[in-house]
Amino acid sequence: MDYQTTVGIEIHCELKTQSKMFSPSLNSYTDIANTNIHEIDFAYPGVLPTINKKGVELALKAAMLFHCEINKTMFFDRKNYFYPDLPKGYQITQSRTPIGINGYIEIETKEGPKKIRIHDIHIEEDTAKSIHHHEKTLLDFNRCGVPLIEIVSEADIHTREEAILYVEKLREILFYADISDCKIEEGSMRCDVNVSVSNTETLGVRTETKNVGSITHVGDVVEVEAKRQIEILETGNKIYEETRRFDEAKQETVLMRRKETGNDYRYFPDGDIPPLVLTDEFIENVRKTLPVLADDRRKVYREHGISEGNIEKIIANKKISDYLLELGNIDLKIASNLLLGDIQAYLNKENKNLEDTKFTKEKLITVVSLLSTGKMNHKNFKDMLENLFTTDESPEKLLEKLSASNITDEALVSMIQKILGENPESVKDYQEGRDRALKFLMGQVMKETKGCVDARRANEILQQELKNTRS
Amino acid sequence: MSKYLSLSLKEIHELLVNHTITPVDLVQEAMDNIEENKDLNAFITLNKEDALKRAEELSKKEVGESLLFGIPIAVKDNICTKGLRTTCASKMLENFVPVYDAFVVTKLIDAGMIIIGKTNMDEFAMGSTSKTSYFGAPKNPWDKTRIAGGSSGGSAASVASSIVPLALGSDTGGSIRQPASYTGLVGMKPTYGRVSRYGLVAFASSLDAIGPFSRNVYDNAVLLNTLVGYDERDLTSSNRTPEDFTRLIGKDIRGMKIGVPNYFQSDIVAPEILERLENVKQILRQAGAIVSNVDVRHLEKAVMLYQIIAMGEASSNLARFDGVRYGFHVEDAKSADDLYKRTRQLGFGAEVKRRIMVGSYILSGENASIYYTKALKIRKDMKKSFEEVFEQYDLLIGPTTTTTAYRLDENTTDPSQTFLDDVLVIPVNMAGLPGANIPMGLSSNRMPIGLHIIGNSFEEAKIYQLASFLEKELAFDFNPKGGE
Repeated sequence: MDYQTTVGIEIHCELKTQSKMFSPSLNSYTDIANTNIHEIDFAYPGVLPTINKKGVELALKAAMLFHCEINKTMFFDRKNYFYPDLPKGYQITQSRTPIGINGYIEIETKEGPKKIRIHDIHIEEDTAKSIHHHEKTLLDFNRCGVPLIEIVSEADIHTREEAILYVEKLREILFYADISDCKIEEGSMRCDVNVSVSNTETLGVRTETKNVGSITHVGDVVEVEAKRQIEILETGNKIYEETRRFDEAKQETVLMRRKETGNDYRYFPDGDIPPLVLTDEFIENVRKTLPVLADDRRKVYREHGISEGNIEKIIANKKISDYLLELGNIDLKIASNLLLGDIQAYLNKENKNLEDTKFTKEKLITVVSLLSTGKMNHKNFKDMLENLFTTDESPEKLLEKLSASNITDEALVSMIQKILGENPESVKDYQEGRDRALKFLMGQVMKETKGCVDARRANEILQQELKNTRS
Repeated sequence: MSKYLSLSLKEIHELLVNHTITPVDLVQEAMDNIEENKDLNAFITLNKEDALKRAEELSKKEVGESLLFGIPIAVKDNICTKGLRTTCASKMLENFVPVYDAFVVTKLIDAGMIIIGKTNMDEFAMGSTSKTSYFGAPKNPWDKTRIAGGSSGGSAASVASSIVPLALGSDTGGSIRQPASYTGLVGMKPTYGRVSRYGLVAFASSLDAIGPFSRNVYDNAVLLNTLVGYDERDLTSSNRTPEDFTRLIGKDIRGMKIGVPNYFQSDIVAPEILERLENVKQILRQAGAIVSNVDVRHLEKAVMLYQIIAMGEASSNLARFDGVRYGFHVEDAKSADDLYKRTRQLGFGAEVKRRIMVGSYILSGENASIYYTKALKIRKDMKKSFEEVFEQYDLLIGPTTTTTAYRLDENTTDPSQTFLDDVLVIPVNMAGLPGANIPMGLSSNRMPIGLHIIGNSFEEAKIYQLASFLEKELAFDFNPKGGE
């Protein structure tokens, strides 16, 4: 039997909450070190944790999106160990009653769709950040207590491709649901990759490569770690349970520490946090806030005939994607072309956000309908673009102005002749030297052209025509 | 000599209202009392300057209606006081100054009370003698060769000697009621959750409770009125509408059903204490109460449960004392591991280390389910058994301790033996119930004997009702003469 690689991935994601999971300080750890801290984060004697409801809500959302069974009564447990970045000497986590269990994520492999099962998803708190500096360790407690969910996959992954697809899909879902900003590079999403190989029915000894720095590297780790393990086994040696890290430059995993047998975290229930009961009402309210996920959006876009290239561009820009969703039942192909094309270009040039301009959603909907019904062409749109962003005038009004300004001299002449014919009194007054009459006639011209004609040109033609009527 | 601070709150209040005295006089007197009773070793830290300053400020204010206004109080040294050293009687926190006030401390200050100092105790509240204190044991005002009990020994000594009329203690396995019993005081451990634990240095999170010491029942209830209330920072704090704990004081006890657990009357209790208990039962019957013996399941296992649950939780709660952020730390650590090991080796006393080790063992691997989970199950059933009893009885009574206060130099070689003294008080912590000690007589060697009154959850008012009735009937002399 050939060697089979088996991979399980544990992913930690920071939740997008205002405050930390068990303390009131701000969840914003990129600020100046040790500014977002509280006596609770510092584990001062006598402090007690409180629960961030938003954190629970976001974790619940994730559990729902990953098709998990929900634990309606949740306990929090203490995971005890000593480390300088862990001020309490324990991490609050959920070991007995994770918020979600037995879920899955479906990925699209070359061989077709595949379900990667999720063992559980649980709430916990982040540690402080250790910064090693000149043989000293500095601690930044801004990150200490930041809400996390850990998503633990089953060992259902067997290839580089599957590993990458799994992490990509998971990231896309969390990102689209606004649960986490999922920035691997900045550490708001962290992947630990467990790899083992075996040429028998039983699984091999696994290693854990921690904190892999990008999705591609997750794939790399699967590949190089499997290769390394096979080589060891082939030379008759033994694999040990180890924690390793990935050296990106050398494209290899490096031993950090060998796992001691019986690593003993002395899990037990945290007496400071009574069981948290999620009411059906709470769960339903959270369910109502579930977003339309990327795959469902892709389906809609395809139905509208948007090109695959543009679909991925839209998916990659959640703001545009959300915006499209809110436009309702209009021609999204046209809308997306405008948004990705001229509108984006204008905004980039002006360095503005769409919401900061006068180009409202209502205007865009009108523009799309004018374009889709052929009442307007793309050149018209380009001509009115500036005004759409900077004035309050409606697209219809702008279109009228545009068509008026496009009026030819001949058309203008015949229009003015018609006006003069209809107002013989005024013509007479003019000829008798009353300037008032010219103003009145000019007013009629502007009214007829809805004010969209160049006034000087109209005035010239009007005076010329008045002369002509005299002779 | 004590003048005003040995009076009742009502009496002191009247003097304040009449402008006969001011809060400054009271603080001055408390400070004099501390000086006179220095040998009691009741305090670890005094708040002299700050207390005087605050008394001066309060002296300029209207006295108002609160009986607590201007009253000096002693606070156990495991309750955080902002800017005032809080040591937990440990070398580990010898120089630790909290940056925030405990919930109860804020309540005291809001009520116009003046914190006079921080009282001596067993290190991290771990003990029944206060002898594990890094600062030496406090003494019993009734006989200075004897212990004041523990772990709130300093708080008990300070009130029993009339240094202050009131003190705060904490009770994880009897640490308010047992010292109250040894020193002839009223000491209440309220229902778990009744008083916020925010700012109480945690020993065993699921058992810890803060409560008042006083020399009479009414004053105790008045102080409890101020300590309670919902605190959003403590998830275990109960969200009940406020009530007046004095409201049943003076009400007739006729028809009250009082149970006396058989185990509490067994031969584990000294004969002269059982005699006093019989006396109380007789008084109650004469007053028209119905007194009968009852059984509560697992009472005899209480100490074992305590050793498992309290020590398991303590081993985790005390992990934060690692020398990294505050408190004692060795200066020459070579690595993080070295820092932890030697800081904790040198910073903690023997009893604390013993409990951390036992607790770590109990939670370790398989042991967690063998010991901890099993203990929780038995605890639950014990609580259920109490609930069943309370369906038929208003209150339970028994002795608070099996003996009177023993001698300071009495050394038990077996550390587990000391826990046995707490066998009568621990069940109340296990079930989260309210329980109070009131004095019910003196032993042949003139040491106080305490009666334990246990109520159903949130029925502190009923406990005070019975306590005040007995206080009057027993006409107990609260004044220790001290035994030289």
